[in-house]
Amino acid sequence: MKRVLIVDDAAFMRMAIKNILQKNNFEVVGEAENGLVGVKKYLELQPDLVTMDITMPEMTGLDALKQIRKLDSNANVVMVSAMGQESMVKDSIINGAKSFIVKPFKEDHVLQTLNKVLGL
Amino acid sequence: MPVTYENESMLEIYIFEASQSLDQMEQIIMKSEREGTFGEEAVNEIFRFMHTIKGSSAMMMFHNITTIAHTMEDIFFFLREKRPQILDYSTLSDLVLDGVDFMKVEVNKIKNHDAPDGNPEDLVMRLKAYLDEILTTVNTGEDKAAEPETVSEKDSVCESEGLEVQPSAAVLDSGGEGAPEPPLKPRKDSKKKKSVQSYKAKLYFQDGCEMEHLRAYGVVHDLTELAEEMFYCPQNILEEDGTAETIRNQGFELFIRTTATMEELQARIEKTVFLEQLILGHADQPEFEPHCMHQDDIHWIPAVTEKEARENAASGNSVSDTQLPLNGNSVSDTQLQSAVKEQPAGSQSMISVNVEKLDGLMNLVGELVIAEAMVTQNPEVLALESDQFQKASRQLHKITTDLQDMVMSIRMVPLSTTFIKMHRIVRDMSKKLNKQVVLDMAGEETEVDKNIIERISDPLMHLIRNAIDHGIEDEAERLEKGKDKIGRISLEAKNAGSDVLIILRDDGRGLSKEKILAKARANGLLTKPEHEMSDREIYNLILLPGFSTKEQVTEFSGRGVGMDVVAKNLEEVGGAVHIESAYGQGTTMTLKIPLTLAIIEGMNIRVGSSRFTIPITSIKESFKPAAKDCHKDPDHNEMVMVRGKSYPILRMHQHFHIEKTETVLADGILIMVEDEDKEICLFADELLGQQQVVVKALPHYIKSMKKILGLAGCTLLGDGSISLILDVSGLAGLRVR
Repeated sequence: MKRVLIVDDAAFMRMAIKNILQKNNFEVVGEAENGLVGVKKYLELQPDLVTMDITMPEMTGLDALKQIRKLDSNANVVMVSAMGQESMVKDSIINGAKSFIVKPFKEDHVLQTLNKVLGL
Repeated sequence: MPVTYENESMLEIYIFEASQSLDQMEQIIMKSEREGTFGEEAVNEIFRFMHTIKGSSAMMMFHNITTIAHTMEDIFFFLREKRPQILDYSTLSDLVLDGVDFMKVEVNKIKNHDAPDGNPEDLVMRLKAYLDEILTTVNTGEDKAAEPETVSEKDSVCESEGLEVQPSAAVLDSGGEGAPEPPLKPRKDSKKKKSVQSYKAKLYFQDGCEMEHLRAYGVVHDLTELAEEMFYCPQNILEEDGTAETIRNQGFELFIRTTATMEELQARIEKTVFLEQLILGHADQPEFEPHCMHQDDIHWIPAVTEKEARENAASGNSVSDTQLPLNGNSVSDTQLQSAVKEQPAGSQSMISVNVEKLDGLMNLVGELVIAEAMVTQNPEVLALESDQFQKASRQLHKITTDLQDMVMSIRMVPLSTTFIKMHRIVRDMSKKLNKQVVLDMAGEETEVDKNIIERISDPLMHLIRNAIDHGIEDEAERLEKGKDKIGRISLEAKNAGSDVLIILRDDGRGLSKEKILAKARANGLLTKPEHEMSDREIYNLILLPGFSTKEQVTEFSGRGVGMDVVAKNLEEVGGAVHIESAYGQGTTMTLKIPLTLAIIEGMNIRVGSSRFTIPITSIKESFKPAAKDCHKDPDHNEMVMVRGKSYPILRMHQHFHIEKTETVLADGILIMVEDEDKEICLFADELLGQQQVVVKALPHYIKSMKKILGLAGCTLLGDGSISLILDVSGLAGLRVR
C-alpha cells in the first residue's frame, strides 16, 4: 500500500482527501496543518507521496515543496490548488511538483493523479 | 425543509471549521476597526480564512457561501497584493461583517439540517462595487487596465500551412502500438554519438481537468532534460491563462529534437495526468494536420532555456517565508523542531469531539459508578468480610472516581468563547445607538459544563443589549451627570462553591423602583402590598412576563419577552438571576449557574417505600421536631419554630401522595431547605445518608405526560433502587410566595 502525507491547513480538506485515499487502498501515514509541519513530517515519515495545499500559514505549499525537494530529489509532491492560483501552480511545476489537483476536486481526479504520479 | 447529507462526518467538520473561521475573522475585523488599520497580518489571515471557506463550501456544494467567500477573497487578495490606502475602515468593516453574518446564518441553517437558501446577490453586488471602487483608485496611475487581456484564439494558434503528408509512422494513442524501434542505447554514454531525431507530439487532455496550459507546461518541463531543442504551440502557456481554453479545443502541440527514442518519449509523455490522447510521430512524417507553422519556420527553443528558467526560479526567492537555513543539503531536525513549536492557536494538540459522544461517555461512566457501588456495597459480598476484597474494591472505587472526574473535566469548557461573542454585540449596539461603550472582561477562563454554556449565551446577549440600550445613557446625559462619556460594561466570571457566577455590571442610569412599581401596577403584576416589598423583590418584577419600562419598544429590547426568557433559561439549567441596582449609578446582574448538571452531592431520604435525594447545597439543617414547636398559622398551614423563627412545613407524603409513612411530625424528620431567600422544612420518614449521585433527567414519557412540580430528575442508588431528585426551588415556591 502506498503511503501518503496530507498537508493542508483546513481540517475539512485533509479529511476530504483522507476519505478518498483510505477508500482506495492508500495509507494516510500523516497529516500536517502548515508547510513547516509538513516538511518535518516528511522527514519523519518518508511517505511515497505528499499532497500539498498551496495557501497555508507559517510556510506556503510552494516553500514546503522546495524544502522537501531539496531534502529528497525523488519526492513525489502533488499540489492542491484553487482556480486563480495559476502562477503558483506554474512555480510549483518549475520547482518539481509532479502534478496538481484543482479544488473543488472529485474523487476520480484525485485517484487518477495519485495513481499516475506513483506509476500505479 | 430538512436536508440530509451523504457524509455526516464531513459535514460536522465543515460546520466546525467554518464556524471557527467566521468567529475568528469577526474578531480580527473588529480589532482592526478599533485600531483604525487593516495591517498586513490581518489582511493575510482574513484572505486565508475566506480562501479556506471558499474551498470547503465549494466541495460541499454550498454555492451561496462559496460565492460570498469568493468575492470577499478577491477583495482581500487585492488588499494583500496592492496594499492600497484605505481611508474608510468603517465601511470596509461593516461590509466584511455583513459578509460574515450572511455566512454565519447559512452555516446555522446547515447545522439545523435546513437548506442554506439565503440570497447573496445584494451582498455580492455591494462587495463587487467596493472592490471596483478601490481598484479604480489604485489604477489611476497604472498603464494597464485591471482586466486581464482576453486571449483571442487566433493569436495563439499559429497558421497552418499543410505539409505534404505521407502517413507512415503509426498513430500512437494512449493504448496504441509502437513503431519499429531503433536499437536502444543507454543515454549516459556518448550522447553525442547518438543521433538526434525530431518528433512531433499532439496532446489532448481529459474534459474538466482544468489548467490544461499548466499541465502542458508540465510536459514541457519534464521533457527538458531529454531535449536538445523544443518548440510548442500555443507558445504563451505560461503568460496567458486563456491558453487553457485553446488547448482544450485544439490540443497542445510539441516539436522536440532529442536523442531519446520514440518509445522513451512516449513513455515519458504518457505519465502525464489526465492525458486523453497522444499522437506521436517523427517530425518529418507528420500524421496530423499541423496547426503550427511550417517546419522551416519553427524557431527552435534550445532546451537550455527551460533548464535555466527552472534554476532561476528555484534559487530566486526561496528565502522569503522560511525560517530554515538554505545552506547545506539538509535541515537539521532540531532546527525544524524549534521552528515548529510556534504553532498557530487551535492547531495545538487538541482534537474536536462530537458532544454526543461525550454525553454517551458520561452516561456510561455514570452507570459504571452505580454498577461499582452495586458490587462493592452488595450485602452478601460485604458479609464475606474479606480483606483482599476490601482492598480490591477500594482500588476499583478510586479508579472509578478518577475516571468520573476526568470525564467531567473534559466536558468543562471555558466561558471565554461565550464572552468573546459579546464584543460583537457591544460593537454593533454602540454603533447603532451612537453611544461609546467599552466592555471589560475578567475570569473568562472559568470553566462550565458544555451543555450549560450553550444555554447562557442568549440570556447574556440579551442582558448586554439591555445594558447598552436602557442602561447606558447617551453622551450628553452622561457628561451632564458628571460621568465619563464612555460607558463601561464589565463581565466577570468566578467560581462560588458548586456554582459559577457571571456578573454583568454597567455604570448606566440604574433601575428606577418607582417606574418598575408603576408598570407592575398598571399590568396587574403585583401580588403583595408595595410597601412590604424589598428592593430585591421590586427588581425581580422585571423578570415577569409582559413587563417593560421602556416607553417604546426599540429594535433591540423592550418587547417584554426578554427578561422573563432570561430567567426561564437560567431556571431550566438550575440557575438564577439576581438583580442589584443603584439609581443613577448603574445596575448589576448576577447569573448563577451550576458547574454541571451531571453530578450532585445528595442527601438520600425515605418517605414510605420511596426514595428521594435532596441536593446537599440546598440543605440548611435537619432535625427531629418537638411537638411543642409545631403549630399552625392563621391559614391552617403547618409551621415549625426554630430558634424563634417560624418556617412552613411541606409534608412529602402529602405532596407526592405516598402512603404508609410517618404522619406524626415528631416521629419523622424535618429537613430545612432553602432556595434563594425562601426556606421551608420538608417532612420525611428518615435520613438515609449522603451520596454522590449521577443525575439523570426524568424520562421523556413522564415529563410529557404531566409536569410534576418539585422533581428535578432521578438517579440510581447503590442498592439499585431509584431515587427521585427534588427540585427545592419548585417545592419552596409552593409554600412561600
